[in-house]
Amino acid sequence: MASIGIIANPASGKDIRRLVSHATVIDNNEKINIVERIVLGAQALGVKKVFVMPDSYNMGYRVEDKLNSCNELKCEINVVNMQRFDGMEDTVKAADYMEKSNEIKCIITLGGDGTNRAVAKSIKNTPIITISTGTNNVYPTMLEGTIAGMAAAAVASGRFDESKYKIKDKRIEIYKDEELIDIALIDAVISNDVFIGSKAIWNMDTIEKIIVTRSHPASIGFSSLVGCKEIIYPEDDFGAYVDINSGNEKIKAPIAAGVVESIQVSEPVILGFNDEYEFIAEDRGIIALDGEREVEFSKDQKLVFKIRRTGPFHVDVIKALEVAQLNGFFKL
Amino acid sequence: MKITNEQLKEMYFTMLKIRKFELRASELFAEGKIPGFVHLYIGEEAVATGACANLREDDYITSTHRGHGHIIAKGGELNYMMAELFGKEDGYCKGKGGSMHIADATRGILGANGIVGAGHNIAVGSGLAIQHKKTDQVCVCFFGDASTNQSTFHEALNLASVWKLPVIFVCENNGYGISVSQARHQAITDVSVRASAYNMPGITIDGNDLFAVYEAVGEAAARARKGQGPTLIECKTYRWRGHFEGDPVVYRPEGELEAWLKKDPIPRVEKYFVNNGVMTEEEIKKLNDDVDKMVEEAIDFADKSPVPSLESALKDVYSDIVEEGRVR
Repeated sequence: MASIGIIANPASGKDIRRLVSHATVIDNNEKINIVERIVLGAQALGVKKVFVMPDSYNMGYRVEDKLNSCNELKCEINVVNMQRFDGMEDTVKAADYMEKSNEIKCIITLGGDGTNRAVAKSIKNTPIITISTGTNNVYPTMLEGTIAGMAAAAVASGRFDESKYKIKDKRIEIYKDEELIDIALIDAVISNDVFIGSKAIWNMDTIEKIIVTRSHPASIGFSSLVGCKEIIYPEDDFGAYVDINSGNEKIKAPIAAGVVESIQVSEPVILGFNDEYEFIAEDRGIIALDGEREVEFSKDQKLVFKIRRTGPFHVDVIKALEVAQLNGFFKL
Repeated sequence: MKITNEQLKEMYFTMLKIRKFELRASELFAEGKIPGFVHLYIGEEAVATGACANLREDDYITSTHRGHGHIIAKGGELNYMMAELFGKEDGYCKGKGGSMHIADATRGILGANGIVGAGHNIAVGSGLAIQHKKTDQVCVCFFGDASTNQSTFHEALNLASVWKLPVIFVCENNGYGISVSQARHQAITDVSVRASAYNMPGITIDGNDLFAVYEAVGEAAARARKGQGPTLIECKTYRWRGHFEGDPVVYRPEGELEAWLKKDPIPRVEKYFVNNGVMTEEEIKKLNDDVDKMVEEAIDFADKSPVPSLESALKDVYSDIVEEGRVR
């Protein structure tokens, strides 16, 4: 049985959106509880080794201690040996380590869209299972840790037809002078904010344009502004963009937890895989990627946005467990 | 959140004043010019600056033993501060308080405080006073991570939330309570999560990012002014110096300080200024020179200020008591 990896972002679930919206706090002790249940679910179905990203709260070691103290740890927990910076680069590096490892066949992430974007910067082939412990979560879903661990065990076993349960996701690629400078999994928001600051983006007055890989009214965050006009599924081979405070129609959309705003949005323009959207800045501003202000641009700067199916392989947990069940994975 | 270049320059000016005041205070302490204890704020300038930039003169702050930065950011004057550090008559407390007790009621500075955790409840008291007066003032309560283990922190958050007081609790999590790392004194990594126990918003931000602090405290202040109650904001930061001047700092792991030096909040702002045309490198240099001069003038002021007379030793220390035990 191959091993699995766990990337639990210690910073997720605590940003300024607890103040400017009604988002929930997810503390690190709760993340430890979830990781514990992942480990228990995975080891019960044969996983022998679990690799965990190191973090400031030592979640991997704490889980090991807790499970050892109740004599329930049967597998080996390895905290990845890497230098920690206590920032997003830790997630990028840990994902890179896991991607390059020959042992790890499935990665479980705990975080929001931003965490998964960081993971997606490093991985190409290792499938991921995403558990939401963030704020605006379109990419990850609310999922019981035990079930995630069981699904990861099924995926890591390598016994089943992967095409039945995993999908190669889309991503937005942002180019400057033909060089790829950043990516987003769900949305890129162009705003006239002048600084990155607390990173999260929530003020509609500053937003000019939204580019999405997928959109649905059931998604929380800015992609819902497109989704309330046009639904784009993860399977669709295209994305779209809209202008904000433009067009004839106002819509209501859930832009943040507990915040449903009425906003004027233009008709979505479809962006196929062969299309690109060219943006030339009239003034300086910021691009928020998957909900976090990340890329600064200056006046007259040209940026190109492309949507491609170059994101991570994402595991559909229910389908993975169904395939496992049909093939007798749970039989003793 | 919109911000003008003038506001940005003012904040940078404040950060420079704090940094240069503290650097000189360190040297002066080593020279024996400053009596008593001194706890320096070097490295944490973005927190006080970003927070106080959202405050009006009639708003309040409560401070800590590491309070110079808070006082300067709320408008405290370098001359009187330095004179107080020197124990001179022209100091804020006429030389009787020293570094840890600087206060200026005219600017809403309710005092630095030598007792860890003592500011929380003073802040709640000021919040209650604001509520009774029905004004839209706010109080920012600065404190460190270790003080959140004190009962005062929990009592204060509880009452502030129950009464929906306009208090913004700003935790400067610099990773240490004296010489004990946070990992050894708290079963959590993020102090902000303690807010949920008191039904108030709690967030964690990069305390070395001036913009992040400005934005977060701005939102919390707006909320407090509208009567929506308190907020807990945890600013992750780091003190470059020891707990106090003279601390041998044997408790830090190798490389930790160096990693934080790379996150110095001041060059981050300077880089932003140059990249975005807020200030040129020449203007930045000139402002640095101006602030150097201001600090030297403050030292000169403090040097020339007289030592308090022996006769004044008990003046302003106790209330005047009249016959029959009544306070005059």
